[in-house]
Amino acid sequence: MYRLNYLLTMIIELKKFGTTLISRQTGKEAFSALQSFLKDTKKNEIIEINFDGVLTFSPSWGDEFLTPLLNIYGNKLILKNTSNPSVEATIEILEKITGKNFSQN
Amino acid sequence: MESKEFYTTKELAGFLDISRVAVFKKIKKGDIKAQKMGRNFVIFKKDIGDIDVFSSNLFKLAKDWALSNKKFPDQFYCQNSGAFQARIATMGSLMIKNQDAKDLFSLLTSIAGEIGNNSYDHNLGQWPDTSGIFFGYDLNKKQIVLADRGLGMLHTLKRVKPELKDHEQALKVAFTEVISGRKPEGRGNGLKYVKSVIFKNPISLIFQTGDAKLILSGGSTDLDLKKVKENIRGCIALITY
Repeated sequence: MYRLNYLLTMIIELKKFGTTLISRQTGKEAFSALQSFLKDTKKNEIIEINFDGVLTFSPSWGDEFLTPLLNIYGNKLILKNTSNPSVEATIEILEKITGKNFSQN
Repeated sequence: MESKEFYTTKELAGFLDISRVAVFKKIKKGDIKAQKMGRNFVIFKKDIGDIDVFSSNLFKLAKDWALSNKKFPDQFYCQNSGAFQARIATMGSLMIKNQDAKDLFSLLTSIAGEIGNNSYDHNLGQWPDTSGIFFGYDLNKKQIVLADRGLGMLHTLKRVKPELKDHEQALKVAFTEVISGRKPEGRGNGLKYVKSVIFKNPISLIFQTGDAKLILSGGSTDLDLKKVKENIRGCIALITY
């Protein structure tokens, strides 16, 4: 008998929330909007956040959106396409402040 | 802020800090596009369009407002955070197309966003007189200016750190310690972010609150903090790159 392990991944394209993601209010709103999608996630499902298309990112927005996701999903949260300088710099400071690391690929 | 469509020559002279005669000369030379209204010239806001006309005095306009609530052109005023978000997104998209700014646009937009949003977050529901911020930028002079007439950092941070004695201490704490003026909310990383971005990039910042002024120079880890004569109740920031 073979047993297949399926790795389910939920992909969140951040650009659908906007391309200039900088304020706490909009970060909070985006996190609230995400809740209806997250409630259907399965146990062990990977949450992939794709930054492709994001022009500007900031710690205020990131702290309202990424920090709670990191606290809930830990290493099941994966950040993708993070090469934008403001995304890189924001991830760095959020990691410093939370004392936790984001998984990236 | 008023909502009429034009400025009088007297108002424009005031904004530019030049005489009315100098404004007339600029109109005659064609530097400023004006139209006759009755016996007087008026300058339509749509004709000013970009900020070139004002650019040499951008920082002065902001400072005059922060110090004394002096009137300034509407196009720099963002009454609420929504108006600021829209304008800063426009700045970002203009920077992408600008030779001098395109490599740094995401970081410049991001740090200006943190500074501007800080003003709203810390003063929401508590603005002493005029709510909102001054936000102007000049891609030719490579500068971004933000100012508010809020409570200032000392007042805000004293809530969580009552031992703070003066503006200098408050300003230092704001840029070096992870502390939130809106505790118990977990905030307080914005200005540390601004500092770390500036340390690694060719960007400089002058930031003043109360009588304390901070200068951060691109690539340097020094915090140049000093006391100055003029006392600004809220905050003013000049970003150059």
